[in-house]
Amino acid sequence: MNRGRLGRVGVGAGLAAFVLWTLLPILWLVISSLLRTKALTSRPPDLSAASWTLGNYREVLASGQALGPALLTSAIVSLGTTLIALALGSAAGYALARLSIPGGDRIALLVLATQMFPGIVIVIPLFIVMSRLGLIDTRAGLIVVYLSFVLPVVIWILKGFFEAIPPELEKAAAVDGASAWNTFRLVVLPISWPPLFAAGVFAFIEAWNEFLFAVVLTRLHTKTVPIAISEFAGQYQTKIGEMMAAAVLASLPVVALAIIFRKAILRGFAEGAVKG
Amino acid sequence: MSSPAETGDWERGRRRTGLLLVLPALAVLAAVVLYPIARTLLLSFQRAKLAPGGLQTEFAGLAQYRQMAGDEAFWLAVRHSAFFTIGEVLLVVVISLGAALLLHHPMGRSPVFRVILLIPWAIAPVANAILWKWIYNANYGVLNAVVTGLGLSERPVNWLGDPSLALRMLLLADVWKSVPFITLLLLAGLQNIPSYLYRAATVDGAGAWNRFRFVTLPGLRAPLMLAVVLQTIWSFKVFDLIFVLTKAGPADATLLLNFLAYRVSFNFLDFGYGAAIANAIFLIMLVLAILIVRGFAPRRSAGAQGKLA
Repeated sequence: MNRGRLGRVGVGAGLAAFVLWTLLPILWLVISSLLRTKALTSRPPDLSAASWTLGNYREVLASGQALGPALLTSAIVSLGTTLIALALGSAAGYALARLSIPGGDRIALLVLATQMFPGIVIVIPLFIVMSRLGLIDTRAGLIVVYLSFVLPVVIWILKGFFEAIPPELEKAAAVDGASAWNTFRLVVLPISWPPLFAAGVFAFIEAWNEFLFAVVLTRLHTKTVPIAISEFAGQYQTKIGEMMAAAVLASLPVVALAIIFRKAILRGFAEGAVKG
Repeated sequence: MSSPAETGDWERGRRRTGLLLVLPALAVLAAVVLYPIARTLLLSFQRAKLAPGGLQTEFAGLAQYRQMAGDEAFWLAVRHSAFFTIGEVLLVVVISLGAALLLHHPMGRSPVFRVILLIPWAIAPVANAILWKWIYNANYGVLNAVVTGLGLSERPVNWLGDPSLALRMLLLADVWKSVPFITLLLLAGLQNIPSYLYRAATVDGAGAWNRFRFVTLPGLRAPLMLAVVLQTIWSFKVFDLIFVLTKAGPADATLLLNFLAYRVSFNFLDFGYGAAIANAIFLIMLVLAILIVRGFAPRRSAGAQGKLA
């Protein structure tokens, strides 16, 4: 009896510590973004009513520092990458899961193995080639390069889903004389919206947050959000409140996506663990 | 029912369609992954510098790998990366296992906890880096306020400016960011352990520790292995954090292999040597991954278990 209560207190304390460890830095980020820099740099921080402001956000969005254009670039690049990866990845995932391609298992493993390579191995030649093709500092260039790490993940998520579809469904379509292509297009895809969405959310978050490729492959015109805020942090070290506002704005879309689609994402984690 | 000949046709048709469906994705991956990998391998055997008029290459054999063996910066980065990777894998896996056990406890089942975990996971790594830069700020940072407030140090600590501290501070920031993913992975693993195993162990008189030791840990073998492999790979990939927080300073105190390869390639524009370092990173990661997978393989003492693996 006593031991049980002691255990519960222990678990409760552990959970509390865990929540604090996870949330305190985020809380501090949000608070800092809402305070005037002067309030942040006084000791102790001045938390009186007059210190709170939305000015940091206005500054960051309106100023020449141009988080605005970066947000647009990131949205276009991430969305473009996601849509192309879903189109190519659903076809490939279905073929690998269902259409008994010769060497299919080996191809699937090869696709996965590409993820072992650190980005630096890939980015050196890509920089050289894209310089020659004039694709440096273009959105199209970034989208193509981002497929290198988004497409394999999308293929694997969707392949896992297609493998779980009962084969009777496709057999019924085959009896009705449907070709494999039509079966995929008219029978399989229409019931695949949930996994397509889940894979899409993963893809979007990965593309939105990417940094190394963007540092190497962009100059002036196609700065993504991570690049813009890292430069901001480098140049305006004293504008702390604005830096934090920029960090919040950069994270807001992806954190919102993660929370809205938490069920699909958590299921993705669960399946990853089973297959591992 | 259809005749065997028709079935054969049908299978062939499916196979042909399958090839057509898989081909576009493979073509893209060949262009943006396989070609670069091969080219980096080739580059590592070439002197390649960016000159006006384009890239100039000349065959150099193993010269750049020899250069690497004698490069102090390379060995410094190897030591730092070893410290960083071992520290990160240990801390992340231990903290995540603890967190996963807490969240698996009936008191921790509320979905709110899982939502909380998704926030640090989804947050942009660069935003995370900027946040920690502010927390570690020597003059106004909240960490110094806490440390001096509690009387742990009389004077503010220059967390990122002190060569003996900087790498550990980077490690802490990356551990915080990495724990949620591994926690969710292990949590999913915990949920897959059949509860009758726990009941049976309890009937056999096993206490909490023995249940953990003989039911939980063996049941988590696959997810734990995945966690260690993934976290090892990710530790080698850390880049954003160094770029924003320290740029490998002070005095190269936070120089990791990945950043060295970047610096050599894109600051010094020595693509050949950068490629050699990049290949070395991949080789190290590959060897580590194989060792980890081997290390987690089931012991074959009983003989009968061998086939299950």
